[in-house]
Amino acid sequence: MIVRRTARFFDDRFGTNAAVRFVLAKIYPDHWSFYLGEFALYAFILLVATGIWLTFVYQDAPDRAFDSVAALTRATPVGYLIRQVHHWSADVFVAAIVVHMGRIFFTAAYRAPREVNWVIGLTMLVLASLTGFTGYSLPNDALSGTGLRIADSVTESVPFVGGWVAEVFNGGAYPGPLLFPHLYTIHVYFLPVTIAALLSLHLGLLVYQKHTQFVRDPAHVVGRRFWPDYALRTLAAFAATVAVIVLLATLVEINPIAQYGPYHDWTVPNPATPDWYAAFLDGGLRLGPSTELRIFGHPIPPVFWPGVLLPTLAFAFLYTWPWIDRRWTHDEATQHDVLVPPSLAPRRVGVGVTLLAAAVVLTLAASDDQFAQALHMPVVAVVWFYRILFPFGSLLAGVAAATFARELAARRARYGRERERVVALVRNAQGGFDEREPETT
Amino acid sequence: MTRATLILAVLAVVGCIVAAALHASPALLGAATVIACAAVAVAAGAAAVALHAPNDLTEPRHARGPTLDLAPLPEDVVSRRGVFNRMWGVTLGAFALLGVVPLLALQRWNDQRPQAWARGTRLVSPAGTPLRPTDLAVGGIETVFPEGKVDAPETAAVLIRLDEQHNVAYSKICTHAGCPVAIYRRVSQQLYCPCHQSVFDVTDGARPVSGPAPRPLPQLPLGTDAAGYLVAEGDFDAPVGPDTWWRTL
Repeated sequence: MIVRRTARFFDDRFGTNAAVRFVLAKIYPDHWSFYLGEFALYAFILLVATGIWLTFVYQDAPDRAFDSVAALTRATPVGYLIRQVHHWSADVFVAAIVVHMGRIFFTAAYRAPREVNWVIGLTMLVLASLTGFTGYSLPNDALSGTGLRIADSVTESVPFVGGWVAEVFNGGAYPGPLLFPHLYTIHVYFLPVTIAALLSLHLGLLVYQKHTQFVRDPAHVVGRRFWPDYALRTLAAFAATVAVIVLLATLVEINPIAQYGPYHDWTVPNPATPDWYAAFLDGGLRLGPSTELRIFGHPIPPVFWPGVLLPTLAFAFLYTWPWIDRRWTHDEATQHDVLVPPSLAPRRVGVGVTLLAAAVVLTLAASDDQFAQALHMPVVAVVWFYRILFPFGSLLAGVAAATFARELAARRARYGRERERVVALVRNAQGGFDEREPETT
Repeated sequence: MTRATLILAVLAVVGCIVAAALHASPALLGAATVIACAAVAVAAGAAAVALHAPNDLTEPRHARGPTLDLAPLPEDVVSRRGVFNRMWGVTLGAFALLGVVPLLALQRWNDQRPQAWARGTRLVSPAGTPLRPTDLAVGGIETVFPEGKVDAPETAAVLIRLDEQHNVAYSKICTHAGCPVAIYRRVSQQLYCPCHQSVFDVTDGARPVSGPAPRPLPQLPLGTDAAGYLVAEGDFDAPVGPDTWWRTL
């Protein structure tokens, strides 16, 4: 009754029912992997909801920040849980984006006409990681403060402009008076608002260009109607995302800043490892060289190579990947709506798995000291293990994955895609076996 | 069934509110929220499955390619050379350059830190107490600051008593990425950075033995004053912290 009257109210004034009908009747292709991006979307909603609440208790003065977060953790169970949920949501948010991006990559959903959405999505990954980093730096505890110091050193290593950028950001030398006001504004305003805008564009383009699908019918979108079928499914995805995040937040304490203590530039917890999505950068710093180049007397500090150059190259490659792929596959068509199963594109699988493996090696390298301790090995040995594993192990993983995909495709071509051939073996008079087709029921 | 699950969700939500009002433990709050959300997920998922709705509905895909032929505009609107000639492009570029102005206004040079360590500056512990050469046990270690400047940025040094006669002090800020070199391994007489595992030999001018640090930790020359307290004989013998592009020596 209320719904009907509200709908009529707006329809009388704006003629909205046509749009509502369009939305409700819209058909979405369905596959389990299409929900991965939704998990990211729902984690973001949870982040905004809990984040708004946290702004009411957080103090951004560097000498008050730690106490305000620590007091929040001590004072009320609700406050403790909300901060836990916020931090866990951030980890899940970035993870869901990465896994979603893997789906897009391995099924070639980024091909024309959807390259722009690939670029938007990749940008959101970068912004989500930055939001996470600025967010967990806000308590100004010993661990995150040291992380900020490392980020400052890496920024200052950039030739010509690095020092200036760092100085502007800090409002002087590290840790300057403007560092925390800047971090806070960027974390609660610039980054989330930009992500929200890009997210709207991302979803708008998805509706406008329509979703890709595995069904080989390029002329039609084949799937489920939004109302009520898909609406229930996406509601289930939303509720399940929240349930999983709250479960993690309830069971696993994350970022226990009270144990780390407030930041001073002369203390740090041991071991010191950042949140998972920043760990590949930290791992790179651990594996990087110790040689300092000098160009006309100007130092290029060793942190420049793994801290600036490596991620820049990696993301430049990812940004241009749709166009590289277009060249490589000689596929100049402008309309691709049917997805390519990974097993039919061994080279794409090879490239993707190589990149993923390299990222995993660098991420693992961020805990090389703990690994060395657990195995009673010198850290230097573990560093060399990862240094060799980074190029060669990644390539080997990529080649193995490509071979596996090729083999899958070959088997499918030989035996058909249904299932293994089932036969019954029957003992014969000679003592051997005869094959007999099983009786069909 | 759906109704029962949703009732469970509502009860869990109410329970969560009551628990929060009673300052119950986070575990209870979390459990109630998890039950509520999981119940909605199950209810929605089960309802979707129960619909037995088809997964092969279709709607036509329209190619979103070029939809508009750019027919030439009438001559009276667009001259042969075009209204927007190159000069407009140059003007636009000039206005874009104008954006550099506020960026330049952001720079703050001349922000050199005052020199904290000088000849005669006493070494004090984090509590602010001055130290005598024999205050540390052999193999002992203490974080020290210039007297009156405890916790001032980039001034921290590690004081180590190597043997009966010798104390050494090095900057505690790693030359790799600026982390505190916080761990001392007494047996091997090495300083170890927990961030990226650089190791420095304290018996050899804090030379980097392994890890990514490019140069030794700056050393603080030590002496004693008339009252017998440890003092610096001057500033660190090298710039503190990691190098930068503009730090030319």
